[in-house]
Amino acid sequence: MKIDPFVVEVIRHGLSAAAEEMSLVMTRSARSPLLREAGDLSSAITDGRGDLVGQGRDIPIHLGAMAYTVLELLKVVPRDSLNEGDALIYNVGPLGGNHLNDVKVVRPVFVDGEIVAFAVSLAHWPDIGGTWPGSYFAKAIDTFQEAMRIPPVLIATAAGVNTPIVQLLKANVRDPESCEGDLLAQIAATKAGEKRIFELCREHGKAVFTAAQARLHDLSEIEMREALRDLPDGLYEGEDCLDDGGVNAAPARIHVKITIAGDEATFDLSGSCDRVSNFCNTTPFMARSAVAYAARIMSGRDMNQNAGALRPLTIITRPGSILEPGWNASVAAGNHETSMRIVDAIFRAMQDTIPERLSAGGATTAGVLFFAEPRQNGSWKMLYEVHGGGEGARHDRDGISATRVHLSNTSNTPVEVIEANYAIQVEQQAIRRHSGGAGAHRGGDGVVRTYRILAPSMHLTTCIERMVIAPFGMQGGEPGKPCRISLIRQGANVAIDGKSNLVLQQGDLVNIETCGGGGYGAEAAE
Amino acid sequence: MNTDENHWEVGTDIGGTFTDIIAIRHSPAEARIAKVPSRPQAPVQAMLEAIEAVGLRKSEVKRFVHGTTRVTNAIVEGRLPKVALVATEGFSDVLEIARYRRRDLYRLDIPPKSPPLVPPERCFGLAERLDHEGRVLKALDEAEIERLVAWLKGTGVQSVAVALLHAYANPVHEKMLGERLKGVVAHVSLSHEVNPEAREYERTSATVFNAAAMPIAVEYLSELELRLPIGPGLQVFHSAGAMIPISAVKRRPLVMAMSGPAAGVSASVSIARQLGTSRMLTFDMGGTTTDVCLIVDGQAEMTDGRMLGDKPLRQPMLAVHSIGAGGGSIVRNGPGGLTVGPESAGSEPGPACYGRGGTEPTITDANAVLGYLNPETKLGDRIGIDIQAANGVIAPIARTLGLSLTETALGIIKVANATMARALRRVTVERGIDGRDCTLLAFGGGGPMHAAGLADLYGIAEVVVPSASSAFSALGCLTADFSFLQQQTLRAALDGIDLARVSERIGVLIDDASAPLIANGVAATEIQVELVALMRYAAQNDAIPVPFARPLDVITLKKDFLARHHELFGYATGESCVIESVRVQARRPSRTVVSRPSVAVRAVSTGERICSFDGFHDIATSIIDRASLTEIVSGPAIIEDAWSTVVVPPGWQARPDVSGNLFLTRVAP
Repeated sequence: MKIDPFVVEVIRHGLSAAAEEMSLVMTRSARSPLLREAGDLSSAITDGRGDLVGQGRDIPIHLGAMAYTVLELLKVVPRDSLNEGDALIYNVGPLGGNHLNDVKVVRPVFVDGEIVAFAVSLAHWPDIGGTWPGSYFAKAIDTFQEAMRIPPVLIATAAGVNTPIVQLLKANVRDPESCEGDLLAQIAATKAGEKRIFELCREHGKAVFTAAQARLHDLSEIEMREALRDLPDGLYEGEDCLDDGGVNAAPARIHVKITIAGDEATFDLSGSCDRVSNFCNTTPFMARSAVAYAARIMSGRDMNQNAGALRPLTIITRPGSILEPGWNASVAAGNHETSMRIVDAIFRAMQDTIPERLSAGGATTAGVLFFAEPRQNGSWKMLYEVHGGGEGARHDRDGISATRVHLSNTSNTPVEVIEANYAIQVEQQAIRRHSGGAGAHRGGDGVVRTYRILAPSMHLTTCIERMVIAPFGMQGGEPGKPCRISLIRQGANVAIDGKSNLVLQQGDLVNIETCGGGGYGAEAAE
Repeated sequence: MNTDENHWEVGTDIGGTFTDIIAIRHSPAEARIAKVPSRPQAPVQAMLEAIEAVGLRKSEVKRFVHGTTRVTNAIVEGRLPKVALVATEGFSDVLEIARYRRRDLYRLDIPPKSPPLVPPERCFGLAERLDHEGRVLKALDEAEIERLVAWLKGTGVQSVAVALLHAYANPVHEKMLGERLKGVVAHVSLSHEVNPEAREYERTSATVFNAAAMPIAVEYLSELELRLPIGPGLQVFHSAGAMIPISAVKRRPLVMAMSGPAAGVSASVSIARQLGTSRMLTFDMGGTTTDVCLIVDGQAEMTDGRMLGDKPLRQPMLAVHSIGAGGGSIVRNGPGGLTVGPESAGSEPGPACYGRGGTEPTITDANAVLGYLNPETKLGDRIGIDIQAANGVIAPIARTLGLSLTETALGIIKVANATMARALRRVTVERGIDGRDCTLLAFGGGGPMHAAGLADLYGIAEVVVPSASSAFSALGCLTADFSFLQQQTLRAALDGIDLARVSERIGVLIDDASAPLIANGVAATEIQVELVALMRYAAQNDAIPVPFARPLDVITLKKDFLARHHELFGYATGESCVIESVRVQARRPSRTVVSRPSVAVRAVSTGERICSFDGFHDIATSIIDRASLTEIVSGPAIIEDAWSTVVVPPGWQARPDVSGNLFLTRVAP
């Protein structure tokens, strides 16, 4: 079917607007601060086959994973078993998963008895059971220690919400009341997306709507192929490392070999290290998500980020490696730490070829501090806090301080919100001056935040990378300062690890200093 | 002097390019409209010239209300006076840290955030601390105040913002500084006055914007008072959709941040009330931006989520949603498909058809290709229309697509309208309303030209082009209510609420909101008070507005909240809920009624032109002088006045009413 370019653009607007509206429903009506304050959620629309076609302005790592969320689902759930009004919930790794906290609600959208799209709402649940509050257990040997696994089940049907499943989920998380509100918000979000798709189909007709989706994929494919053709053919290698792959273990290597040939590119990540013994493993979908982001940056072009842009890319991971560790591996941190290291490795591979499109190493860690306080009734009150850091410098400007880079895009929680809701006093929040790397352009600075514990005890999880291996400088720029974490108990310094679970006492001070970005170019001599 | 002389009421909207003015008199009833060039360097002079342009002397003006984006423009363009920030010690980097989040996910060339409004060397950390319930953890002492005073003198700033942690819960330390800094710096902005609500970054940002606006606002408002000495008749429009006296604006100039667009919406509210339209969408399409707003049951929606660039203003204001698409938006046809905007040719050089050096195809050029613009008229006596230039820039796109010039131009309009439709969808969706049930009120330079096409795309049945559509914001300044608004964080859980205490606090807020009106001679009995509770579930963040009456009835309030939550989000639960804040608007309703205006300048042709519409290419189209229109016109037709063009496509008709409003409806499928 030939379709005029104006209608394609009109439908593109409609699809992005639908996804943005879904995210709006989530942030405005969710319960957990992680969703409502930090915005750790994403929304997407796929076509009837499950290929991503529209997305919100959310978090690139989620959006990249969602390219596979529905595709993989349809491999195990026959599409003709789905009915109008159904919504499925799941979080397991093999179904386009990233980590178990990120729970997806997926709604098939039927028009005239046929599935024309799926509305997908992804939200990071602050707790999803497992060994430790928050479900980030650093030493988890496998997925069972980590968290609850949800295979695809119907969370809603045309008859309404599936209450027994809601009860089952609530019975296995540490803050059931917030969980229910968040879950209802997710279901409502997919419903909002469905409504917009109905409207698009009514305005343009189902056939035009479907043809426009296909055309949008083609357009992004064309754009990506042109971009690849503009890059010099060749083999590019790069690597970066995680601080460690388990307590006292050596740095964990992420390696990429990029082959650009004509209008196609292969990203071979097989040289990355074996499955690690902490929660830094990740899924092949995360590897693809990171590559999709990096390829978009390499292209230097503005295009619709959808499944079409991925077609010219071949992405290879090795079974048994940290990027394809098997279904039972622990993966909580790999979601935002290991995936970022893939972007770093790709940037390092390309830094001498297209330095002007890239940036030096930035704060490619979520810098997570997770505080959990038991309530009298046995449930838990939880604060998941991410910390921004310095952006890497570029060929034409300094890096920006206190920001999130690349695959991440969540916010901080305001001090006034933390203090009103948790037994925590924030004693300081400041820019960590001079932490950015020197250079012709300086890296951005990290941040410092200090938390004083007012409750009798509190559980703490740390998930911080870039403590050992600093963000790299580019083209002669200096690296940024690495992250630091400290615990001061009764005036004395207690050593804590960047990836750990521990119990805090009243009066403890937890101080995080996040990394600065790398500098770009050699600093001019005085 | 004839005592009957000074009976004129004057409204002006000072835009970036033009200053619009409307003057009205009740008896004998008369209305006059004019447009004069704005003068960014001499705004007061431009206002006085505008009065002359409608043939009035200063002594004939009884009331003068103006709306302006002057303060906002100064901020956007970075022409800001130096400001200092005083924050709690340990938190003085609050502006630079901000909230981390970036808008462009895949663009490394764009910095993830803009530089902070106050550089670190002008931020001061003050030793003091409160907790979230307002308890003093560390008292502010005399020595610390002296340290601050010495530092402030060293900075040489004229204006200082004070935003201390948890000041919304207890302003004790901010009030101390308010007293002690008098005479040390010319202007002091205190966060508990500017924006008494939780979340330190947003409150600090609002307070700093206010501090930055103060020297600019005080200077030109003082000049205005001097040169147009009409006492309390001198008023400014504020962003929440009403006017307030000059004295109040000088202390809180941020209230006029979006006063221009708000005035347009306010005029729309009057029209919606007059016409008895329960749901109306405003569509104000200008050269670089388009503003839309939803009016339900004669009330415009409010928001405090408005940003200036990437920085929050957090003031309760009319929920005008702006998008960066207007007549000057540039059309591109790249390998990724056809897009309109966000780049704009702006007012300089403007669209190619303005013949002032523009070389890129714009939406206005597409309109020119279709025959909608009169080649013989001049916009505001300045800008002619060069159809050949328009054809010249659209032609390359047509060649690439293998389409005719007409088909291409129609396609561009379709895409532009899709962008507009998305803005309409956004404001209706946020309120849980189906936009197709609304009447579209079109004004601004491009609104009446695009309205019928947009209505077709969106499924809207009726469009209204108001009389005086070309000076509509100026009109809004006159027809708005006289009002003042206060909002404060309460954070009262509904279960076990202390009704006596909450009622007392609401009483204080009502007094605060009414005081500026009473100070300007409004009798207490004339004041109407509207109360809105911003409510949420205990665990939620975003509070939704729920109107209530006094005495506060908790059961009704909870019921209304659940209904509203369900309407907005499609579900509601039995969880405990909280009154996050209370918003109080005190107003004296407007008594101003506007008769059909006479337009001072007229240069419109009548006859026929060849125009094209969706499905109808190159057909003879009648051109009608709007002032002469008294009966129903069937499309295709173009209705013109001095500054605007109403497009009536085939299948549509236009019907004028006695007040000069035009009603466009679809008559054929």
